[in-house]
Amino acid sequence: MPIVVKRSILRGLPVEEAMRRQVVHLGKTATIDKSINYLIRYKVNALLVTDEEDQAVGVVSKTDIMGAYYAALPTESPLEHIMSSPPLFCRPQDSLESALDKMRSRGIYRLYALDPDLEKVVGVLAYPDIVGLLYRYCHSCEYSILGKRRKNQDNNGVHRFQVKEVMTPSVKAFAEDESLLQIMEGLSAYRFGAVLITDRDHVPSGVVSKTDLILTYKHGVPSDVDARAIMSSPVRSCEETEFLEGAIQKMIFSEVHRLFVHKTASQNIVGVLSLSDAARLRSGSCHACVSSRIKVDDHN
Amino acid sequence: MQANARDVMTTKFHTLVPQTPIAEAVKIFRRASEEEQSKVFGMMVTDEEDRLIGIISMYDILLLMRPKHIHIWGMMDDIDITGLVHNACERAKSIVVGDIMTTDVVTVTPNTHLMMILDIMIKKHIRRIPVVEGEKIQGIVYLSNLFYHLLDKLAA
Repeated sequence: MPIVVKRSILRGLPVEEAMRRQVVHLGKTATIDKSINYLIRYKVNALLVTDEEDQAVGVVSKTDIMGAYYAALPTESPLEHIMSSPPLFCRPQDSLESALDKMRSRGIYRLYALDPDLEKVVGVLAYPDIVGLLYRYCHSCEYSILGKRRKNQDNNGVHRFQVKEVMTPSVKAFAEDESLLQIMEGLSAYRFGAVLITDRDHVPSGVVSKTDLILTYKHGVPSDVDARAIMSSPVRSCEETEFLEGAIQKMIFSEVHRLFVHKTASQNIVGVLSLSDAARLRSGSCHACVSSRIKVDDHN
Repeated sequence: MQANARDVMTTKFHTLVPQTPIAEAVKIFRRASEEEQSKVFGMMVTDEEDRLIGIISMYDILLLMRPKHIHIWGMMDDIDITGLVHNACERAKSIVVGDIMTTDVVTVTPNTHLMMILDIMIKKHIRRIPVVEGEKIQGIVYLSNLFYHLLDKLAA
């Protein structure tokens, strides 16, 4: 009996084809203040921390820095006090699938690619890198709805993923007058990257992300101020029936890691779609490539 | 014989503070360029006691304006550019000079030899070096200062 093996288009691709080769790093005695400067300057979510011998000894993410803000550590504290250690590695030749499995099973968002011969970190792989790769795949597909000049604007009978099939169907919302401390508690308990802020009438009025929080920390703002003081508006959102391809495109262009999802013709936020959700799907964003993903192995 | 930083440095310079919003910094850059009658592409950043704590260049600001995922879609020919610049400007709103300035600043003293400065500039790919004595900023040496100084010698 033939065994149907589900193939994803990521199968067989090595990490080195999706990883970023610029690895932003700082020494372990560098200050938190400086690390925030680096995160903003290089538009990354985490830094590799190195010791005196340039060996990778830890990782500092926006989450770690938010924890330092919550604990009211001075921004002059060294990174070695807040880093997660050791960093988790993969090899450049590992398959993307095994890397994704490792990220999922360990509950982490990035892996550093360690070259076994050079004994040196040569790249970093995070969920957005994988989405980027998928995006390029989808974009060049003849069935893609991406790209306005394409002739195949109709569906061609292809079922496409809609946002609601992939999104996280719950949203953590806070009121405008709740403090940053409360928001940080929420963010760490629910492992979200951002929370929705609603006004007195429960209408979404803004978003507070980890990036907003670490900037606020760097600017010396006390953590008991109201969400209203630092939230960014408007709320970037999409409709739940929108195609995943379009939503990913929106995120890539507006440089956000998530979109809040609302019902059609309603302001009601019903979920959140993150780049990580999109990456976890592991395949393209429509079923057009399903046939190419299914391989029938003839085990006689 | 003129041979040290003090002989070529510009002593009239503009500074910024880390709290200055980026949009404001851009205006100050423009104003400084008008006052100096030459383009100002980089400025020193000082603390309350006028101590040098960083340097910010147009390049740092452009880094902020560069779309994050351009490597993903930069080669695509069907990009709707409308809104991209607007997005970049929106993002820059909450950013202040201290967030993106370079804090690893190479400095020299007024007595540092010209050729030493030239060597640092070439090796580190930098175009301006603050001249500091003790904790006080004395001036700034631009690559162009060095160039015109050496050019004069060459042409003499």
